[in-house]
Amino acid sequence: MRKGVKINTENKSTKIKDGNQDSESNFYYALGHKIRRRIIELIGENGFSSFTELKKELKVSTGTIYHHLDTLSTLIKQKADKKYYLTEFGIRAYDSIRNNLGSLSFDISKKDYNSFLMKGLMHLTPKRIIVTNNKPNLLVITFSFMILILGGTFCALNGLYPFFLLFETIPEILYVPLFNFLFFIFNFFVFFLTIEAICRIFYKKKGDSMEFLSTFAIIFLPSILYLIIHYFFLVLMINEFTFIGIFDNIIMIIFQVWSLWLLTYSITTYKRLKIENALIISLVLHYGGFSIILLLSI
Amino acid sequence: MNIRKYIDLRLIGIVGSCLLIVSQFSSWYSGNTLINIYLITTSVAIEDSFLYLFPLISGIICFIGTFLVLYKLDYKINSVIINFIGLGFFLIFIFEIISKDFPYISSVEIGFYFAVIGALLILLDILNVLKLNNNLEEGS
Repeated sequence: MRKGVKINTENKSTKIKDGNQDSESNFYYALGHKIRRRIIELIGENGFSSFTELKKELKVSTGTIYHHLDTLSTLIKQKADKKYYLTEFGIRAYDSIRNNLGSLSFDISKKDYNSFLMKGLMHLTPKRIIVTNNKPNLLVITFSFMILILGGTFCALNGLYPFFLLFETIPEILYVPLFNFLFFIFNFFVFFLTIEAICRIFYKKKGDSMEFLSTFAIIFLPSILYLIIHYFFLVLMINEFTFIGIFDNIIMIIFQVWSLWLLTYSITTYKRLKIENALIISLVLHYGGFSIILLLSI
Repeated sequence: MNIRKYIDLRLIGIVGSCLLIVSQFSSWYSGNTLINIYLITTSVAIEDSFLYLFPLISGIICFIGTFLVLYKLDYKINSVIINFIGLGFFLIFIFEIISKDFPYISSVEIGFYFAVIGALLILLDILNVLKLNNNLEEGS
């Protein structure tokens, strides 16, 4: 008798397990098609949706919609008012789509950022230049080359030495403008090779190295804008004034953050790394550069 | 021992930014706080004096950044960028201090250590936040 009970319990638990596996399989199968995900999103966003609204949004045939609605039977239900609502599983599916889709996609230009800060940064990103699967063209290479020349020139004029994205004077070294210029070019290649090495060694990502190199100079664009402003302060001899000095420091910080964002954006785009990992690389290199400058100043 | 079970590691950013703010009011050299040094410098050379307020500014900005991620994990990228800005102020300050006052570094007092430990905690917090998974929000 006891044995029978045990067998029944085992059968019951196996059935529950199979039932759970079926629900799980249905859940993932339902999410496995673009149109079905869009249906869940549409219903989830409004709370409910009518067939007409779905047809209007999806722009596919009536038969296709009915087919996908049938497949989604565990995730959506049609109530007496003939409108479609999400079931408990459907709400979970909707949450899953909303929470994970952004982190799964490497194309951050298509991510929907809600905050003012991120929207602002996205406006400051040259998304048409830093784009994947776009072979290096003459215009982009010329633009990058101009940035390199400008960067080197303004480093020489300001008497600054670059260390990745930071710029500093080294009083011990004799001021030779050509040396500053060449150091900027040298820093550009060292910086690029360091990022390549980190991506390949630690993250095992090769990505599009040539495309990355062809647009890598754009990362220095904010720094160069800062160097130009700083040079004008130097020429006009107004950087000794209180507020100009503070303003100079503040714009340096803002332009550095802009450069770091462009670096993060480029790494995510060309190396197909998650934005979090790209930010870690940017952070490590930025503070690494700062440590070098600090050591040299001592 | 899994330390995450007992404390929320996101709090280290709050601790770090509080340490940075506290360092402004702690003694740095010969019993002088940064506020004292700021006031003394203001009467001598106003252009240098604002530099001594940078740890406070940095602490406040980083506090906002770290609080943002505690409030909602979705804002982690915003939080990291705000922390970058906050730490930028501190880095400028520490660079100026070290290059100017390096001979006196051996005689620094508790305020300096508070500031350095605070900045390091914020750095650790940034790395921790970037490693956090969105799903953690429900678990933590």
